[in-house]
Amino acid sequence: MSATPVLRVSALTKRFRGVTALDQVYLDVYAGQIVALIGPSGCGKSTLLRCLTWLEQPDDGFIEVAGKPLGRELMPGGVVRRHSRRQIDALRPRIGIVFQQFHLWPHMTALENVVRAQTVVLGRSRAEATRRGVELLTRLGLADRMDRHPDALSGGQKQRVAIARALAMDPALMLFDEPTSALDPELVGEVLTVLRSLAGIGMTMLVVTHEIGFAASLADRIAFMDHGRILEEGPARDIMAAPKEPRLRSFLDLVRTDHRITRTTANPTE
Amino acid sequence: MHFDPAVLVDYWPLLLQGAWLTLQVSAAAFVMGYVVGIAIALIALVPGWVPRLVTGLYVETLRNIPFIIILFVVYYGLPFSGIRLPAVLVGTAALALFASAYYAEIVRAAILALPRGQFESARAIGMSPMSAMRHVVAPQILRTLVPPSTNMTLTMMKESAVLSSITVPELTYQSLVVQGNTFAPFEVFAAVASIYWLIAVVIAEASRRLERRVGTAQAGASGRNRIADRYLSLVARRT
Repeated sequence: MSATPVLRVSALTKRFRGVTALDQVYLDVYAGQIVALIGPSGCGKSTLLRCLTWLEQPDDGFIEVAGKPLGRELMPGGVVRRHSRRQIDALRPRIGIVFQQFHLWPHMTALENVVRAQTVVLGRSRAEATRRGVELLTRLGLADRMDRHPDALSGGQKQRVAIARALAMDPALMLFDEPTSALDPELVGEVLTVLRSLAGIGMTMLVVTHEIGFAASLADRIAFMDHGRILEEGPARDIMAAPKEPRLRSFLDLVRTDHRITRTTANPTE
Repeated sequence: MHFDPAVLVDYWPLLLQGAWLTLQVSAAAFVMGYVVGIAIALIALVPGWVPRLVTGLYVETLRNIPFIIILFVVYYGLPFSGIRLPAVLVGTAALALFASAYYAEIVRAAILALPRGQFESARAIGMSPMSAMRHVVAPQILRTLVPPSTNMTLTMMKESAVLSSITVPELTYQSLVVQGNTFAPFEVFAAVASIYWLIAVVIAEASRRLERRVGTAQAGASGRNRIADRYLSLVARRT
């Protein structure tokens, strides 16, 4: 395990009009790891991702991406220095995010979605950006879909375009917000395959999900969040087999019972 | 008494001159008003209460005062600050000012009608706010902007008749001159009415073509829904 984590979150706090959405969150993600962030809805998972991309500004705490501070940093002498918008924007490509609803740009083709930010943000030449875009889309199995607009793509295809768009920026870390929830249930396996293939090339990932089974089969580590705090974090196997935190135990019980109920109601003849 | 358009024969050049000036003034006020309107709309979307308050005051002030009063305030107010400009420039500027408030609202509503995730995904990948506007937001709202902007532009073009009251020799001013010379008010104003009508029809048709062109350029790419479109056209019609 390398010395500097790809992502280091410390004491991150975010309040919305008095409601504490994130309460002193600490989290380290090391290179090549897949960390699944689980927890009941409203626990602050999505807020954490939005803070990590600075779409929401945390009120307190620090974020470091590959050793570089994002948004604000602690200077010698305990002074907190806020970063300018430009400094924040400069670090943003290092953190790729795949939104729940993908948010592809509908007026561009799939390829253009992947190419545009490379030219605008990284200043790559069009030829170079296109080469990279074609390479990524081909690797994600979209070679014959590159000239289509997002409206003409299936949900799974849209997701892979969104992944390619983020990967094209050469991020140090990829964030996924509920990657299975906007897709049909039978596509969950496909998402799993795609994310595993990313792990195969050494990509570091933080995946927010409420599907325990998905988290368990994908992640190296699992972090459980409730009421804006990370209550337990550890190797996926340990968390699933022997959860220590009572709230995590009841959450897992609840989710597992839910699964059994949906299964029996889905196949009443079995 | 009978309708005799023949009295106008000698005065056509005057009326056409007036019509030409009406067109020029409207075109200039459109360009100026739209530039200011876009700026106001973008400032209004900057987070924080100060930009919202300032732009809100700007828009509400201009929308809640009759145009003729805006015109008089500008026309008679400028000399107080030591600025003396030809009436045609003052009139055009006042017209642009008036229209800019409505253009600002049209642009702002169109931007807000776009799903927020579009702007956010552009920002999250590292684009600056202006780049995100340019590459992601603007191309998607162009088409939505055309119908309400056309409505407003037509209103503004017709409102330019008021400039006659500060001696700008546009179409209405010339019609008053011709009427004074010929003593044939009905013939004159009927002729002028049809000229205004013709100008409006030409603008409306041009806008329809523009809308179709923008439409094909972004075929299959719609980020908005019908309710938003409808709202936008209503906003414009409130003028």
